[in-house]
Amino acid sequence: MNEARFVELLGVYGADLVRWPDEDRGSAAAFLEIAPHRIKDIWESERTFDHLLALEKDGPASIALETQILSTVPSRRSLVGASSGRSLWSLPKWATGGALAASLALGFAAGYAGEPPRSAESDYASMLTISSSGAGSMYLTAMMADADPR
Amino acid sequence: MRDPDEDLVRRVGAGDRRAAAEIVRRHLPRMVGLARRMLGDASEAEDVAQEVFLRVWKHAAAWKPGAAKFETWMHRVAMNLCLDRLRRVGRNGGDVPPDTVDGRASATRALDERQRRERVRDALQKLPERQRAALVLCYYQDRTNIEAAEILGVSVDALESLLSRARRTLKSALAAERADLLSGLETG
Repeated sequence: MNEARFVELLGVYGADLVRWPDEDRGSAAAFLEIAPHRIKDIWESERTFDHLLALEKDGPASIALETQILSTVPSRRSLVGASSGRSLWSLPKWATGGALAASLALGFAAGYAGEPPRSAESDYASMLTISSSGAGSMYLTAMMADADPR
Repeated sequence: MRDPDEDLVRRVGAGDRRAAAEIVRRHLPRMVGLARRMLGDASEAEDVAQEVFLRVWKHAAAWKPGAAKFETWMHRVAMNLCLDRLRRVGRNGGDVPPDTVDGRASATRALDERQRRERVRDALQKLPERQRAALVLCYYQDRTNIEAAEILGVSVDALESLLSRARRTLKSALAAERADLLSGLETG
């Protein structure tokens, strides 16, 4: 570090050596220790200027803004769906439709298999129960994924 | 060195709301500060900060720790949003150093801290946008020269040139305040 380089960096980064490039910081500190008064005066002058700039500091962010931003955090479900690599939702539409149709058919089959004759109302309730744990939930998830603005 | 946000970002990507709250608490003041200094408008700064976090939610799951720290990426997003807004409305600081006549006239009277702060704020707003961006990143956002150069898409030499010109322009604009501060320090 020489005088010219020190003054040049002082004019770029200011008096606080923490802001100086890593590779120059140590040698600058050592130079400042033994620098002539003329250089120390320049450094002091830059330090005063730094103080002036420091008056314009950050305040805390408003609670209202923080709350507003946190209200935009997406649900775990949509985040996980978006990050699960090549999932069902990234398949072509025809493949997604095929998987839904197959799942729905399985739901019907399971709903009727081995069951004694029942009323129309109880059959409908059974279908809803099965489909809500299979094809239905997949369909709802697919709809949510489609509705996601991302 | 390990990215201090790495674990948090991974948890945000997995939908952990507590991690999201932590990342907001950790970075929101700086994002608002950057945008406010770049745009000179508190309300617009809050809009930019919101947009930055929307992008965090969007990209957290796919974030791969690598060369750039997550915070540096956030700064780049915020800075680009600010520069886009400034260009959209044709706002850019003048290339001519700010007028110092008012400063000279007021040099004889002591300015209180609030007045000085306002003068600094005004002078910052009058800087050309690239100079302002360099100064904001290195001085107020505590980015290293390498990070700031990366955020602005310039070489470190070009960044140093921007910083040097920004400080020279501000020194000229704030000469009166600087003298006032010096006399205050001497008498105080």
